[in-house]
Amino acid sequence: MGLLRKIRTIGRVAEPAPPRPEGEQLSAAKELGGSVQVRCVDAGSCNGCEIEIAAAFNPVYDAERYGARLVASPRHADVALVTGPVTRNMAEPLRRTVAAMGEPKLVVAVGDCAINCGEFAGGYGVEGAVADVVPVDLAVPGCPPEPDEIVAALRRVTGR
Amino acid sequence: MSVIPAALATATALAGAGAPAGFVLPYRLRIPVVGLLTAGVGVSGGAAGVAALGGSRWVAAFPGMLPPAGVHMAVDALAGLFMAVAGAVVVAVAVYGIGYAAGHGAHGLGSRTAQAVLPLFALTLVSVPVAASVSTFLALWELMALASLLLVLAEHRERASVRQAGVWYAVMTHLGLVLLLAGFALFAAQAGGETFAALRAGASTVSPTVRGLVFVLVALAFTSKAGAVPLHAWLPRAHPEAPSPVSALMSAAMVNLGVYGLVRTGLDLLGGGPAWWWLALMTVGGASAVYGILQAAMASDLKRLLAYSTSENMGLVLIGVGASGLFAAYGDRPLAAMALAAALLHVVNHSAFKALLFCAAGSVLRTTGLRDLDRLGGLRSRMPVTAALFALAALGAVALPPGNGFISEWLLLQSLIHGLQVPGVAVAVVLPLSVALIALSAGIAAAAFVKALGVGFFARPRSEQAASAKEAPVLMLAGMTLLGAACTALALVPGLLGDALDRAVAAVGLPGSGAVSADGLKVRLADVSATLSPLWVVAALTAAILLAVGLPRLYGRRRRRVNARLWDCGGGAPTPRMAYTATSFAEPLQRVFDDVLAPEQDVNVTPVRESAYLVERVRFQRRVPDRIEHRLYEPVLRSLAGVGQAARRLAGGSVHLYLGYGFAGLVVLLLVLAVGW
Repeated sequence: MGLLRKIRTIGRVAEPAPPRPEGEQLSAAKELGGSVQVRCVDAGSCNGCEIEIAAAFNPVYDAERYGARLVASPRHADVALVTGPVTRNMAEPLRRTVAAMGEPKLVVAVGDCAINCGEFAGGYGVEGAVADVVPVDLAVPGCPPEPDEIVAALRRVTGR
Repeated sequence: MSVIPAALATATALAGAGAPAGFVLPYRLRIPVVGLLTAGVGVSGGAAGVAALGGSRWVAAFPGMLPPAGVHMAVDALAGLFMAVAGAVVVAVAVYGIGYAAGHGAHGLGSRTAQAVLPLFALTLVSVPVAASVSTFLALWELMALASLLLVLAEHRERASVRQAGVWYAVMTHLGLVLLLAGFALFAAQAGGETFAALRAGASTVSPTVRGLVFVLVALAFTSKAGAVPLHAWLPRAHPEAPSPVSALMSAAMVNLGVYGLVRTGLDLLGGGPAWWWLALMTVGGASAVYGILQAAMASDLKRLLAYSTSENMGLVLIGVGASGLFAAYGDRPLAAMALAAALLHVVNHSAFKALLFCAAGSVLRTTGLRDLDRLGGLRSRMPVTAALFALAALGAVALPPGNGFISEWLLLQSLIHGLQVPGVAVAVVLPLSVALIALSAGIAAAAFVKALGVGFFARPRSEQAASAKEAPVLMLAGMTLLGAACTALALVPGLLGDALDRAVAAVGLPGSGAVSADGLKVRLADVSATLSPLWVVAALTAAILLAVGLPRLYGRRRRRVNARLWDCGGGAPTPRMAYTATSFAEPLQRVFDDVLAPEQDVNVTPVRESAYLVERVRFQRRVPDRIEHRLYEPVLRSLAGVGQAARRLAGGSVHLYLGYGFAGLVVLLLVLAVGW
């Protein structure tokens, strides 16, 4: 009972959410109704973007309050959050991951590498940017992008 | 009234025709003719049983046959129940057997000997309960043992393990016969007559010690035939090695007769006994239930799994019989009737699903040549009917609601729980323990049969033989469908058996209290106000499943169906080697019961020649031996072999020594005669 009373008396203590980012909600995302399951795919990243994605879901930036949630399988996911230049070894797994997701599905490319191979362009093991392998709906530039920017991109997907 | 003798005469005549037919006819003709005759034996034997269950009785004596005692026969409802069950199993398995033996070549079950013995075995299965004197009973009992032994040995040319199993079976069944002979001889001598009627009348005049001794001797033999621990060792050897129709007959009809003998002798002829008999019986039952199903859960040989499961189910039946005797000993006869009815119903249920399971395993074995679950798999799409029937029978075996095993186990649990009103410290300890053991065995049975069905029939084939499996021929499917229909009927409307069970229970002198009533489709317990309606349970389950499947379809938005590849984490497609095998599925359970099962494991590391640190090959071996066999049988066998070796010194080859033995023997005999008499 003590816990319930605490919850009731203290109420909501989180800081108010920052204003909605400009830009319309993606039309493909409207069907999702504001609840978006996200699967991360590291297609060959240096892990810088992964650290920022992890930060985007931590209690400070808290992407979950906007309806985005990380899941463990593409079968559960609406959005693939792809990082890094796509390496040869990861090209086919990436295609299969996106193919494994149910409709409607979106692909968000996170980081400069995912957009244009960045530092690794022309590398012997690099197949190309994410858009060369699977169709990309939204891109988050930056090397690495800040958590705020990732959250803003996810808010464009959830529409919240 | 004249149905029973006519049916029995028909059965005998058909078996009498079948045996020479099996010997004489050429291979192609032999199998269908013998199969049909055997099925006829089953039909007529079963008809006699059903007539007896319907209330008719028959008593006859043929003093001229089998001198000096003559043949005595009597059929009451208890005998009728076992005859009907055996008859039904024989019919279905005979039909199945025609398909099984055909096309296999004239070896194994299709051979002259096996085909000649099969109708005789069927006849003894339906006629052992008919015997009404010790000599008749023992003669039929031994005939049954010999016939089944010959059938177990049918495939002895193909595998050496068959011969070994045959030796185990022959020795153990004859040790049982010796115990039976000693027990019955003692009983008959004390009671003053060898017919069952004389035994029944004279039982009260026998001293309690002798009665106890008779019960122990007879119960040892009968529990061994029923496959209960610790005298079960023949069962997991003989059942897997016998041709599958024979396994089905043995497991679904022959082991039942151990229970029949126990009920007949303990409750009927001896007229019940002190509590310690029944507590001992319940202990044996509980031990076999848990030990049997644990070994079944560990087994990766499909037929061995089923054989151990027979051990488990007979353990449950023995718990019921023991509880019945216990309640009767404390004077609570209605409750005793209920426990016995539960035990008998479980016998019927077990026969239905176990015969079907063995037949389905036989279909798998026939097309793939494999019994090893680790190498099967993926049979569902290749043998859909067999897989469905196996699933149906497995549902009965795990004692979960829509299956037929559930009802009898529920009844058994009800009778045990309500038995707590019976006073006594031993009762207060044993009954809750039995309830716990039954629950535990039901839980492990679920694991064992999920393993058998999931690993054997689902997933992908793990060997070429399994990948090229074909559905069984029509006659085999027909036999299995008969058994499947029996399982379904027992699961849906067990109430129809109510009157028959009542009469069978009444035949041993317990009040037929309507333990399982036949009104409507319910199972109602007369004295303990508990009701179960299996049909409603099934209807509710079906409705729930339909709702769970249907609602999302109705309300979910319709989308285009896309056939996507299996999600394999983006890597290569999973190979059949990655799937659960029977061994890996059982491993966690084996860890839990490590202390009981005592698995043996052996790691053999071979390093390369140049360095001890570089490994060339690692060989890992792990097996779960039958621990009772290890601890109980091997010391006995070793000491017997030791005695035999020591006795060789007596025969040194010297003629003088032998003459001396003869002389010494003569002197001792004369001394005994002079002094003793």
